[in-house]
Amino acid sequence: MSANTFDRESKPTVAWLWQVFTGVGLVVLLGLHMVANHFIAKGGLRDYAAVVAYLRNPIILVLEILFLVCVTTHALLGVRAIFLDFGVSDRVEQLVTRALKWIGVLTVGYGLIVMWFVIK
Amino acid sequence: MSTLNYTKTRQAARWFDIRQRKVGMWAYALNRITGIGLVVYLYLHLGVLSMLMRGQSAWDAFVALARSPFYLALDVILLAGILIHGLNGLRLAFTGLGFSVGGQKALFIILMVIGAIILLVAALKIFAV
Repeated sequence: MSANTFDRESKPTVAWLWQVFTGVGLVVLLGLHMVANHFIAKGGLRDYAAVVAYLRNPIILVLEILFLVCVTTHALLGVRAIFLDFGVSDRVEQLVTRALKWIGVLTVGYGLIVMWFVIK
Repeated sequence: MSTLNYTKTRQAARWFDIRQRKVGMWAYALNRITGIGLVVYLYLHLGVLSMLMRGQSAWDAFVALARSPFYLALDVILLAGILIHGLNGLRLAFTGLGFSVGGQKALFIILMVIGAIILLVAALKIFAV
């Protein structure tokens, strides 16, 4: 049990603020991703050569990495919120949070590996 | 113990029970359901991107498949989920931060109408490809 009750109350607020922050970021980054990859691209999807050329642009690469981090964070915070809806115990909440953090790290790592394979 | 678990499950399952619900509850349920769908899609999408690592022929074969009407229809469903979740999420962020709390029902309806218009235009664009 935490000595300071405000520590316990601040956790969901911080998670919620991150959810909002990444959500607002996603409105911009997902918008760019959808327009660039699915609306501007000829035929609605880029072929292999076009994907390579697209990701080799450093600005695009940074934006796609930011998008990957934002979407993963937002998605996993959402999954955590759903778990909390089940009224789980503090111990289960900690386990779920830790597991989701690792899933997030693995997801971003996987995405970075795919991008590296494409641009190398 | 089993009674307690049942109660907790019922508690979370309330999002899916749309009987006698107000607009706010519909918005909440829609946000959760589209959110779950989008998380599933995110991991499917990341799985599909592994084809980029298999080289040009694997990716270009997938692109040819993804341009079929069936996949284009799935794109429209995906876009619907993104618009509902994104626009409703913006409403939640606004009201959660204390803006437009009294008008959140009207805001939800306005945003969903905007979403429907964007979806219609995007669907026409997707199928015109």
